[in-house]
Amino acid sequence: MTPASGDAYLNTRVSLFAERLWPDAELDALVGAGADAITHRLAQKGLALLAPTPEQGGGSLEHRIVAQMLEETRVLIRPLAGGARDFLAFWTARFEMSNVKTLLRSKMSGERAAAALARLAPMGAFGRLDSETLAHAEDAGELLRRLEAGPYAAVVRHARRAFEQSRDPFVLDAALDQGYYEGLVARAQFLETRLGAPLRGLMAALVDRINLVWLLRYRFNYDLPPAQVYYLLIGSRYDLPVTRLRELAQLDSLPAVLDALPAPWRAQLVGARDIPDVFARMEQAGAGQALRVLRGHAPPLARAFAYLILRERDLRALRGVLRGRRLGLAAADIRVAMQRAPETLH
Amino acid sequence: MLRAEPLYRIQLVLLASEAQDAALALARFGAFNPASGGSEALTQAPAVAYREAWLEAEARLAKLLAQCGDAGALALPSDAEAPSLADLEELNAWLKDVWTACRDCHEATARLDEARARLAALEDTLVRLERLDVDLGRLLRPDSLLAVRLGSLPAENMRRLNEALALSGHVLSRFDQSGDQVYAVIAGPRARHDEVRGLLAQAGWHELELPEELRTHPRAARDWLERAHRRVETQSGAQCEALDGLRGRFGPRLHEARQRLALARPLAEAARVGVRGQGGLAALTGWVPKRRLAALRAALDARFHGRCWLELREPGPRDLAAVPSLMRYPAWLAPFVPLVRSYGVPRYGEFDPALPFAIAWLLLFGAMFGDVGHGAVIALVAAGFARRLGRIAWVGVAAGAASMVFGMLYGSVFGYETLIEPLWLSPLHDPIRMLTLAVGFGVGFIVCTLLVNAWNKAAAGRAGEALFDSGGLAGLVLYLGAVGVVASLAGAADPVPQAAWLAAGGLAVVAVFKWTTTHATLGERLLVTAIEILETGIGLFSNTLSFMRVAAFSLNHVALALAVFTLADGLGAAGHWIAVVLGNIVIIGLEGAIVAIQAMRLMYYEGFSRFFNGDGTAFVPLRVVVNGER
Repeated sequence: MTPASGDAYLNTRVSLFAERLWPDAELDALVGAGADAITHRLAQKGLALLAPTPEQGGGSLEHRIVAQMLEETRVLIRPLAGGARDFLAFWTARFEMSNVKTLLRSKMSGERAAAALARLAPMGAFGRLDSETLAHAEDAGELLRRLEAGPYAAVVRHARRAFEQSRDPFVLDAALDQGYYEGLVARAQFLETRLGAPLRGLMAALVDRINLVWLLRYRFNYDLPPAQVYYLLIGSRYDLPVTRLRELAQLDSLPAVLDALPAPWRAQLVGARDIPDVFARMEQAGAGQALRVLRGHAPPLARAFAYLILRERDLRALRGVLRGRRLGLAAADIRVAMQRAPETLH
Repeated sequence: MLRAEPLYRIQLVLLASEAQDAALALARFGAFNPASGGSEALTQAPAVAYREAWLEAEARLAKLLAQCGDAGALALPSDAEAPSLADLEELNAWLKDVWTACRDCHEATARLDEARARLAALEDTLVRLERLDVDLGRLLRPDSLLAVRLGSLPAENMRRLNEALALSGHVLSRFDQSGDQVYAVIAGPRARHDEVRGLLAQAGWHELELPEELRTHPRAARDWLERAHRRVETQSGAQCEALDGLRGRFGPRLHEARQRLALARPLAEAARVGVRGQGGLAALTGWVPKRRLAALRAALDARFHGRCWLELREPGPRDLAAVPSLMRYPAWLAPFVPLVRSYGVPRYGEFDPALPFAIAWLLLFGAMFGDVGHGAVIALVAAGFARRLGRIAWVGVAAGAASMVFGMLYGSVFGYETLIEPLWLSPLHDPIRMLTLAVGFGVGFIVCTLLVNAWNKAAAGRAGEALFDSGGLAGLVLYLGAVGVVASLAGAADPVPQAAWLAAGGLAVVAVFKWTTTHATLGERLLVTAIEILETGIGLFSNTLSFMRVAAFSLNHVALALAVFTLADGLGAAGHWIAVVLGNIVIIGLEGAIVAIQAMRLMYYEGFSRFFNGDGTAFVPLRVVVNGER
């Protein structure tokens, strides 16, 4: 494909896919809808794969959501090459990193390889790891050394060293998350200079939100000292640069941190009660930003990225609805579950 | 040769305790492709634990062999039996113990290497500190208000750690670097010492061991360092002896472990697609060539003496998509098979294009690159490199021979057109005839592909598509009629009024078929039918014209030779021959490669894409694997 026809393809594809996004009211209507109506609506939105059937378990719903995201990414990535392709492919690597965490936990708990393998999300053409070999590593240390010799060496190297020093699963998890997002930021940096504000805006909304939520969790849920909290955050050049993060990490209460944020953020977070509330508001703002990019005249890659962000958000909410209904929860509880949960790779 | 061998679906039912021996017997038989499914009455999966134990044991053995070296070639006695699940689990547990010992040994060696590196760094530090004349005893005093740490960390973490430490009132200063490790000193208030502990672990900080002697004064540390060096060397020697001891102790049994795991592999592999069972029974399901059924019965009788039950059936229409394709080729055709496989594997029951591919590809290559001399060079070079290139070299030899045959027809030797009389004609002397013949060849080629496609569809039970679709017989009628009309209009043949009726009839049938198979609104059906008809017409037209490149390349070959001769004629005697030789090398290398690719392209796009789905599954028999082969 020539660059022009590739752009035309991607723009058309994104516009077609954008029709499948769920407005909040439609999602809300699903909570009380009948099983047939849900199946019909899911099929209309290209999500027939997620339609509930009696024999499907919750774990398999997660896998089907991942499969759906990978399939749509596969279609979008088709005309891309070089850095743009690498960026979107790395965006899907979150699912593979989640598999890595599953394997690491299974090694720490002494679980058998077959059981761990059964819980991995199938990565299809995006899979870059030999899960079977990794699952048969003797322990977490050996697994990390094997990973360090593979395609995610840059993500894992730091995590392995930190884990060897501390043997602390939290240290390992946090280092893997940080390594992944720093890899994403590095890949985006090159594209931001070419694609300008739309992609930068999306990345800023994503990275700043993650940094703020991590900062609040590490500082006030896990009670870590400011220096360690700062060290665990993503090196950022966006609206919350490292200097601001250093200042925020030293504050000693949630309201103090929220008061010290830039003015536009303060406006969004006025009255935020707790960390999940902060996350939900920030995610809402991020979704608004992604929607503007999607509906505007942004470069096709930025629109594709915006679509994937929004689609994943929808699928998380759908998971809440489907699982809630399966468990027989009350509609009010399902609506609470549809509020976005704090974000990590797992 | 033109279709996959007929296969039978078998289900071998026997005692679950003998499943591993049954799989081994089937692997030794060499023509059993395991498949999923089997009787629905058998709901359990009795070989899952076996496969899991085998996978773990195999992974451990591979790591051990990588660390301790391979124990040499493996031979499996013909009467050896596969290990039972209990044996396999015992072997797996033993391998785990051995691997743990071996890994501890290797990690201890790695730690000693690190200790050596650290001592060397410490020695460097000592030299620097001697120059500074710092009293480390005072600096590192445990009761001082200032807490000081000496250590190393990955260089990439230095900047961020420095920034983070500043938040705890600490400073970090680098004093040395070795590889990607930075050696640094961290100082900060002792009261906040614990605050940075987690941070330092996160940053991969490695504290340097500081002996009392070094704390007293750098000069006093010399003796300590020498003692430490000697201690590390002694430990290292002991470690090497321990490793050698492990190899000696475990080597013979590792060889036996390899044997037993090779014998266990067939059931583990079969379990990947599914071995079903119920109670004390197990069933292995798969595909076997029809011609080998009697041999299979004999092999099973010899091994189990009637303690098994073999169920056979031919594949039904519903099975077709899942049946693997087993092809057998004569030795002379085998080198061409990878070229077809690079496009795909034919479905079971589908036409296998390997033979027509080989013939047509050679014809096209020869026609586009007809030259006795160039063909001879290609054939000789390919034959000369036969050992290195393997079977694919024979494709080169055959291409060279085809080129020589067409060279005789064209009367061309190394581009010279006067050395021998053409048996037929030189392309440059009648290019229109060449182009007409190329298009004629294309028409014949496309007719064949349409016939094959109709046959494939009929074999797959899709009679409607075989008869009425654009790639079926209706499409063929449309195509032949259209060719007749175009030939009449171009004056290449006498006008045949029936040709137009033939084309119109074919078109009408295809249109009605598209209309009836499109399930959509009226407008959409109209649009789809119109576009499909248009696409069919344009596709057939452009595919036919595509064959003009055969004539174009044959002309191009002569023209390139003429260009070389023109260039050579402008030079002196020596220069002339140098230009002729170099020019011929360029023609053989560059044009030869282009023509080979163009012939392949014609086969793939104008041929295979019409009838060959290429999404079949190759027949992969269960085998006994020794010495790491697959």
